[in-house]
Amino acid sequence: MKLKVLPPTLRKNNRYLTVDVKATSPIVKDELVTIVWDACVRFQGELNTGNFNLWVMKFYDMDETEKYYSYKAIIRCQRGYVDEVRSSLALATKYNNSRISITTVGLSGTIKASQKYI
Amino acid sequence: MFFDLNVKGNSLENNIDLAIEASKYGWKHINFSYNQNEFKDALEIKGDLSQRLNDIIDFDYTLEIKSNNVNEIRKAVRKFRNKSSCISVMGGDLKVNRAVVENVQIDVLSRPYFRRYDSGLNHILAKVALRNNVAVELCFKDVLKSYLAPRSKIISNFKDVYTLYRKFGFPLILSSRAESVFDIRTTHDFVSFFTQTGLNPVEVESSFLTAANILKFNEDRDKMILNGVRRVDDEA
Repeated sequence: MKLKVLPPTLRKNNRYLTVDVKATSPIVKDELVTIVWDACVRFQGELNTGNFNLWVMKFYDMDETEKYYSYKAIIRCQRGYVDEVRSSLALATKYNNSRISITTVGLSGTIKASQKYI
Repeated sequence: MFFDLNVKGNSLENNIDLAIEASKYGWKHINFSYNQNEFKDALEIKGDLSQRLNDIIDFDYTLEIKSNNVNEIRKAVRKFRNKSSCISVMGGDLKVNRAVVENVQIDVLSRPYFRRYDSGLNHILAKVALRNNVAVELCFKDVLKSYLAPRSKIISNFKDVYTLYRKFGFPLILSSRAESVFDIRTTHDFVSFFTQTGLNPVEVESSFLTAANILKFNEDRDKMILNGVRRVDDEA
């Protein structure tokens, strides 16, 4: 049985971060999920990360260059914790011995609006 | 205005890649830093660099002096003062930290906490830095490249510097010290990180202003007769 959808007043308010990901070796969406959670748990701790309501909504392959593979993704987080999430993501540097870099290039209130940064 | 006074300078192509990426992420001005041995060679590629980066981003050079010898630092400062828009000295050694904040010809004391268990600053050095207008620089890359306990210690050192900064008001600048495109972040991420470590957004903004003021002050440095007295060329 499916749970009934919460009324709007009881729903959490979300923000959607469009992130620019660079990596020296190719990554897939599941790996980005691990990277995002690890980065947040490492910088903000387990207790704070529980508030963030993190979810990788979309993942896009972009053009690769000679030096790195480039991706973009839309990550959901809870309103009021945007600074915490973006600073944690900015501090991610390595995954499986390859270099990565994540930086937030856009912030919006809906997925549709966040797609303009892709 | 987003100013970054410490982006690690390298070859021409690498500098161009860094500058383009920085411009894409919202930076308005970057300074490529070279140490005293590389600075002369770097001046030779400055013309090509300014041609290639025309209309993309403003840039300039920072001389970053690395030495534990106070006399050597003084010599290098005298030699390059007129050729560089910003002179910073790598801190970490207590003697160097003290000598740098006492020298009015130096603009920046970079990373006073480097390889130390404390922040490398105390109330006395803070007062002297304010009197001589020497800025203290904190680098984002130190946190980026460390992890777990060392990262916590560096953030703790940052917090000690913030405490002194709030009490004594010496100039504080924040920089990325990016070496490659993997180390550059958007200006918003940069501000978010420093607000998370304990600065407020106004203080972060004033650190960018301080960086801009250092460059502006050094443009007029040769016209300064005394502190507060400047030769004016305007005939009216």
